[in-house]
Amino acid sequence: MSWMSSEEYANTTSYKLSLLSDTKRRGYKVSVKNLNSWFGSKQALKDINFDVKENTVTALIGPSGCGKTTLIRCLNRMNEMTSSATVKGSVYLDDIDIYASNVDPVIIKRRMGMVFQKPNPFPTMSIYDNVAAGLKLNGIRNKALIREIVEESLKGAVLWDEVKDELGKPGLSLSGGQQQRLCIARALAMQPEVLLMDEPTSALDPIASAKIEELMNELRKELTVIIVTHNMQQAARVSDYTAFMYLGELVEYGPTKQIFENPQKELTERYISGKFG
Amino acid sequence: MTRLLDLGIDRIQNIIMDMAKLSEKSVTTAIESYEKGTSTKKVIFEWSEQLRVLQDEVGDLAIELIARYQPVATDLRFIRSCMEIAYGFSRFGRYAYDIVDVLETMGSITNCDKSAVLEMSCTVREMIRISVQALQSKDKNAAEKLYQMDDTVDALYRKYLREAITPYEKTDKRSFDPRCYISALLILRYLERISDHACYIGDSVHYIVTGTSSPRR
Repeated sequence: MSWMSSEEYANTTSYKLSLLSDTKRRGYKVSVKNLNSWFGSKQALKDINFDVKENTVTALIGPSGCGKTTLIRCLNRMNEMTSSATVKGSVYLDDIDIYASNVDPVIIKRRMGMVFQKPNPFPTMSIYDNVAAGLKLNGIRNKALIREIVEESLKGAVLWDEVKDELGKPGLSLSGGQQQRLCIARALAMQPEVLLMDEPTSALDPIASAKIEELMNELRKELTVIIVTHNMQQAARVSDYTAFMYLGELVEYGPTKQIFENPQKELTERYISGKFG
Repeated sequence: MTRLLDLGIDRIQNIIMDMAKLSEKSVTTAIESYEKGTSTKKVIFEWSEQLRVLQDEVGDLAIELIARYQPVATDLRFIRSCMEIAYGFSRFGRYAYDIVDVLETMGSITNCDKSAVLEMSCTVREMIRISVQALQSKDKNAAEKLYQMDDTVDALYRKYLREAITPYEKTDKRSFDPRCYISALLILRYLERISDHACYIGDSVHYIVTGTSSPRR
């Protein structure tokens, strides 16, 4: 290493990298370290470790009860809403351990939005208010700004063209697929960095599902997407990385191409090939 | 319970084994025709056509299985490889036909020295046998052996080619009949191509078993 002044050294890449957290330095948006979870005495997640790269789509697959939903809910501390749930281990969002005592879970949920299996627009609210609700709850009062964000969010969810002339209609007046995109728009309005999707198309018909899948592909340019899906073909279509879970363990995690063409674990091969049980 | 996909995979496997037998028979018969001077062009043409039809059948079935069942992992690699293997067997049939076609075109070559072709044909027929065996037993290591044998085949071909283009001396004991050299060279070339395709079948078996493909030599 050559001799250099402090000022020169401060401008070097190695110094700048040394300031970053381990997660960020390695180019990961989310890092899960030794994550364990219980519901009462029943262990739902066992020593989960994996890293999620920024601007990718990661699919969590596995049979029912394997812990996919528990895992995705642990990623933004939503599991804490279940009274019997406990968690041990760490989840890093960039350089923040979201389970650290000084971290506000509300901020984590804002940075890591969630879309659920069944579209759940606020039933008494209009399309516009559904998207604006989160902003207002977070104290934004500037109507012009809210209008701008609502429009951007609906555009981001590829719903704007379909609803722009009827923003005052109830959210529930939309079709199932549109309602799900409305929920995505609602999540996008908070400008999350990570979007967690728990079986977002399982209640939708194939056309609506295809739109959500296309949307995921677009969203990946702006944020990081983690999706739980029972549909393996969907995982193969939309994701860059796939994690296969079984009985609370992460059996195999890797590039989707590898998982579906040449899985390294016999259990993964059997599950994705439909040879299970 | 049998997966629906397995019914299709079994069917592809059956067709591939039919192709293996027919293509092996085609090459063996063609070489015997060269050795004994018998005429088998018609029957080998029919076999070659059958192989082509079977190759199409494998391709159609593979596409159907992919479209209907979205196979993954070993299933997907097997189906993809079967399309390549079916092409290989179809080429065996075509080269067998090319060999007997040479015999028809050249007329009588009874007095030619046939040792080079017969020597190479022994190796190539063994390679066909090994490639079929590898497919049946999913032997991922067969490819290595096939490539070693292919090197021998290539060396034989180059040796004969050099000999064929060496100018005649007054004391030369080689045949002056151009039909001998041309027929032998063409047939050696076809055998050399069959040898290549046997290696590709070995590659496909390796890919099915391991999921990794090595660059073709």
